[in-house]
Amino acid sequence: MVVVQADREGNSARLMLAGQFDLDHAVTTARELASIEASLDGCRVVELDLTGVDDIDGAGAVQLARLLDRVEARGPRTHVLDEDNPKAARLIALYRQRLTDTPVVTARRSTILGSLGSSAAQLLRSLTSALDFIGHNALAAGQALTSRRSVDWRSLPQLLQQIGADGLAVTSGANLLVGVIIGVLGVSQLGRFGATVYVPELVVVAHFRELGPLVTAIVVAGRSGAGLASEIATMKVSEEIDALRAMGFDPVRWLVVPRCIALVVALPVLTWIGDLLALLGGIVATTSLTDMSARAYVMATADAITPASLLEGLIKTPFLALAIGLIACGQGLATAGGAAAVGARTTTAVVLSILGVIVISSLFTLFYAFMGL
Amino acid sequence: MHRSRPHIAVRDLRIGWGSRVLMENVTFDIERGTTFVILGGSGCGKSTLLRHLIGLERPQSGVIEIDGLGPPHSYEGVPRFGVLFQSGALFGSLTLAENLALPLTTWTSVRGRPVQELTQAKLDLVGLGPYAGFLPGEISGGMKKRAGIARAMMLEPDLLFLDEPSAGLDPITAYELDQLIITLSRDLGITIVIVTHELPSIFLVAESCIVLDKAAKGIVARGDPRILRDQSTIPFVRCFFTRSSAALTASHGV
Repeated sequence: MVVVQADREGNSARLMLAGQFDLDHAVTTARELASIEASLDGCRVVELDLTGVDDIDGAGAVQLARLLDRVEARGPRTHVLDEDNPKAARLIALYRQRLTDTPVVTARRSTILGSLGSSAAQLLRSLTSALDFIGHNALAAGQALTSRRSVDWRSLPQLLQQIGADGLAVTSGANLLVGVIIGVLGVSQLGRFGATVYVPELVVVAHFRELGPLVTAIVVAGRSGAGLASEIATMKVSEEIDALRAMGFDPVRWLVVPRCIALVVALPVLTWIGDLLALLGGIVATTSLTDMSARAYVMATADAITPASLLEGLIKTPFLALAIGLIACGQGLATAGGAAAVGARTTTAVVLSILGVIVISSLFTLFYAFMGL
Repeated sequence: MHRSRPHIAVRDLRIGWGSRVLMENVTFDIERGTTFVILGGSGCGKSTLLRHLIGLERPQSGVIEIDGLGPPHSYEGVPRFGVLFQSGALFGSLTLAENLALPLTTWTSVRGRPVQELTQAKLDLVGLGPYAGFLPGEISGGMKKRAGIARAMMLEPDLLFLDEPSAGLDPITAYELDQLIITLSRDLGITIVIVTHELPSIFLVAESCIVLDKAAKGIVARGDPRILRDQSTIPFVRCFFTRSSAALTASHGV
């Protein structure tokens, strides 16, 4: 229960408080104080009588302290009658005394338009720093060969395990299903022209050259890209990267080089295994939907596979791997702030990695078309 | 309210993992409205004991009672005490004001202007009034700790646990934090339990303490830290308070 009564006498008023002024009654207190505040207009002196206050905590004291502040701001003098309740008076005094005496500093919060302008201005800086990071990596790769102890080679087997072996099931599953999809589409579309015999060739050309590397790289970007980015981002916010620098290590050489090497080694292998599984998917789809035998399918596939079709796909995988590694590690190293920044950088790393993979794959396709391959 | 009963009662506590015992036979009381410090060298289990007191861990055996209620890990609903973690543990995506308002809007029906008033008052209390709109990433380590204390006080608890509040702070900021702790205890009547090994802070704020020792797997001394410093005959305790290994060396006859 909270009771606030104003006992008015001429130009002065006495606020008689009774009940519990604590956090549990903060809502009632706020309502009572708001209703009584208006009745104090015209007063020159306002007294706060705490005699009836049964219980008070910081919340109640803050509300009464702010009431006195507001009353004083309008002109009247205030006085707390503290003889019968020194604890309450001390609490109110504490919250009145510890008031912000310096202007509130507002951290700059930008508007939507401001954010847009800031992003545009940031774009050029991001491009410059991305080029700088790529250059730093190129330099670091060269230095890694001459100064082998500056690279954490011991982490390489573990990274190959994480990126390659641990990711095999996911990339294989994705490629198998893509093979099934191409097979089913081939049968349904080519079958209209009685050309299902070309389905094996379609699977080989579509998957080996384009979809195999692309699907594998996207899965690796989502899985390993996120892992690498969050790992390095966490190291950054917990000052491990600073510790590396302080000990004289170049974080790019120590962390980024082995991760990029692991990706460059693992991605072609994953892609090649994925290609084989896509062929299996094509066989399953085609032999299930048509009367083509598995033997006939394998023979047709063997005829369709050429060194060029295999190489055209695999040759782009190191570039895709480098894009994933550089983007993920770059985003991780650029992290600043706390846990929220780690999440934001990881998300950005995955989005940019996937985008980068698609762009690089498209550039290769255009290049092959331009070269008449 | 049971004024005669200790605010926290710990009886025969045994803490460990499996067969590995960190401490055992730990028994002590913390009186209401006092500032109590848990002391000990690195790795002796100070923070682990604190995690048990706040219910984040369960002891292997023994009893912890706060206000005569059951074990802290069984508490549900509105938190019965505030906790400051070593790093402040503020939520990075929320401003200081939003961090402070979170327990208030979660556990009470207070909304609108009172929320703003209460959060601002607590920030003012810890000297961070001007920084209400800042994100934790935009303020210093000492400010984060002060904001952490302010957040721990939002639900007006009568018990605060502070884990290494002045560790890593400069002497002036540490002194200001100690003064704040004294104010909280004296003016608000809050029981404060502090884990620390910062000697200046201990002598300034502590009314009583326990000293934990890793080798003894438990409490080796208890009482007023100033008296322990001047009168204790236990080599580890003297060494701890005087920052001198002479006492330990002498006791080992080296």
